[in-house]
Amino acid sequence: MEVFGVDMTESTSVIVRGITGRYGSLHTKLMLQYGTRIAAGVTPGKGGQSVEGVPVYDTIKEAVSKTGSTTSILFVPAPSLYQAVEEDIMAGVRFLVAITEHVPIRDTLKVLSLATKHGAHVVGPNTPGVILPSRKVKLGIMPGTSFRPGSLALFSRSGTLMYEVANQLSVSGYGQAIALGIGGDPVNCTTMIECFDWASERDDVDGVVMVGEIGGDVEEMLAKHITQSGFGKKVFAYIAGRAAPKEKKMGHAGAIIYGNFGTAESKISALKAAGVHVAMTPAEIPRLVEKSIKKS
Amino acid sequence: MRLFEYQGKELFKKYGIHVPRSILAKSIDDAVAAFGELPNPVVLKAQVLAGGRGKAGGVVTVSNVSQARKEAERIMALRIGGERPSALLLEESSRHEEEMYLSVTLDRGRRSFVTIASRAGGIDVESLSGRVMEPIPIEGLNDSLAADVAGKLSLSGRTKDEFLKTLLNLERLAREEECELAEINPLAIKESGEMVALDSKIILDDNALFRHPEFSLLEPEDPLEGEAAKQGFAFVRLEGDVAVVGNGAGLVLSTLDLVADTGGKPACFLDLGGGSQRDRVEAALRLVRMLPNAKRVLVNIFGGITRTTDVAEGLRAVLAEGGMQPIYARLSGAGEHEAKMILQGTPVKLYRSAPEAVEAVVRGD
Repeated sequence: MEVFGVDMTESTSVIVRGITGRYGSLHTKLMLQYGTRIAAGVTPGKGGQSVEGVPVYDTIKEAVSKTGSTTSILFVPAPSLYQAVEEDIMAGVRFLVAITEHVPIRDTLKVLSLATKHGAHVVGPNTPGVILPSRKVKLGIMPGTSFRPGSLALFSRSGTLMYEVANQLSVSGYGQAIALGIGGDPVNCTTMIECFDWASERDDVDGVVMVGEIGGDVEEMLAKHITQSGFGKKVFAYIAGRAAPKEKKMGHAGAIIYGNFGTAESKISALKAAGVHVAMTPAEIPRLVEKSIKKS
Repeated sequence: MRLFEYQGKELFKKYGIHVPRSILAKSIDDAVAAFGELPNPVVLKAQVLAGGRGKAGGVVTVSNVSQARKEAERIMALRIGGERPSALLLEESSRHEEEMYLSVTLDRGRRSFVTIASRAGGIDVESLSGRVMEPIPIEGLNDSLAADVAGKLSLSGRTKDEFLKTLLNLERLAREEECELAEINPLAIKESGEMVALDSKIILDDNALFRHPEFSLLEPEDPLEGEAAKQGFAFVRLEGDVAVVGNGAGLVLSTLDLVADTGGKPACFLDLGGGSQRDRVEAALRLVRMLPNAKRVLVNIFGGITRTTDVAEGLRAVLAEGGMQPIYARLSGAGEHEAKMILQGTPVKLYRSAPEAVEAVVRGD
């Protein structure tokens, strides 16, 4: 399955940046358990070690030349994310999943500009990652047990809410062809619109579930795009934060209402106007899906 | 992080943006003393982070000492958007001809910083008429881009020169100090053509504060929020009676909605974060225990990487310390049966789904 320029198959392999850290090593283990192939890890100064049987290199350049893998997942601390991305891209990595949270906005803008210049694709930062259940590929920190192979595409700004929704869909008999978190930051290197464009081209995707939240205008822009592009698949959405106060950051750096900008009401009405089925609670999503898509 | 007006104006001065002469007063006596040091009349301005300060009576011009004292007393006793003024800014009254709007801010949809300018200042950015919006390249604004903005505003002569200086300085401030928003509204144009920033609104990028340690010395807006931030929790104090705790920002946000939809009022938003261990759960509950308006606690966990057994052990440990509000919990996912066993014999009420737990906590069963 081709995802943003990478053919994701059972044999797709990935390099883990920050593999020796607590978080990096835990998720290396969990990704391996799921079935993801991990070719190498990188932590400067830890070359020659191994984590869960995965060889560790000092530099990404070495890891890429030894393994040929051009996909990476980053668990590095926020202050060094930009540098790690730059090294990855210069070493030939073309698909990057940036799990790292708390990245400064200006660093994310630099990451985006660099990736665009070199034809690389970045998911995140502050993302749970991407999972393709039918391919046994999990590039992320999501619990694999919540996801089942199927024909829905699930895109989310939030991590846990994506797991919760995936779990409810799976239990109701609706698996996912893909689930991807665009990230909880104000700037996402992969946009919701790019995700929808991807889904519109896929014959194996019957419908799209979008989990949004307060802050910014991602959902409003998406609604416009759905209408203008004549998006042909069923779309279901849930927006978190109807009860949130204004001017307060609700956990995610991007989940904040300024004045009347970024409210749940504005997003819900824009999506409804674009013909999207909007659920008022996460539990309502599978019920809405059931009404319009047959179980496969 | 939002800065107070006076803190923003300190930054303006540092970057060569003109501001009126002013003195910060932390008490009413200080305000009265400061009145005598400024040319008459003097503007008294409540220092609050909340919006709607003018409408709430937080800004007033005074022209004699007794009036200054009376108004200082009145303003310091105000509550503006639930917030007490932390200080008063006394400022020389600035006579001017026109007011403009100028800001540098992140345009999330465009994924770029932009500058927004308008010749009509003093009102909300949403309702600005004839506003000009230009994207700013990642390396910063240059003279010719700034000139484009001035051109679109049809500025000329001394006003144009002053505007260009102010715009370039404001953009440099926003970039170097890493602001999400740097706004001057209103930007006054004096008869001489000089431009003066009459107000400031600065929002710093919280995630960039590690590069700006000088700002970390600023006091947090709310001591409990400060304490939570120190411990690495996302925490927002709210006004209701049901504390909402969960793992993951989106999940907690959706739980707040459920509480509100069921007729309840959340007392706080507390995100434990992913993969939370037992000690994190304990620390979070101890914070909630200190929240006077929280009468009951709702714990909503979707256990994927976070193990519900860790959460259960944390709950049991804090309950053993005493003084904890009644806990209503939904612990779903990895280890939920073991978690149930751990909580046997404790007063924690367990529910199978989030909606069930929410209904119970709102009713207070």
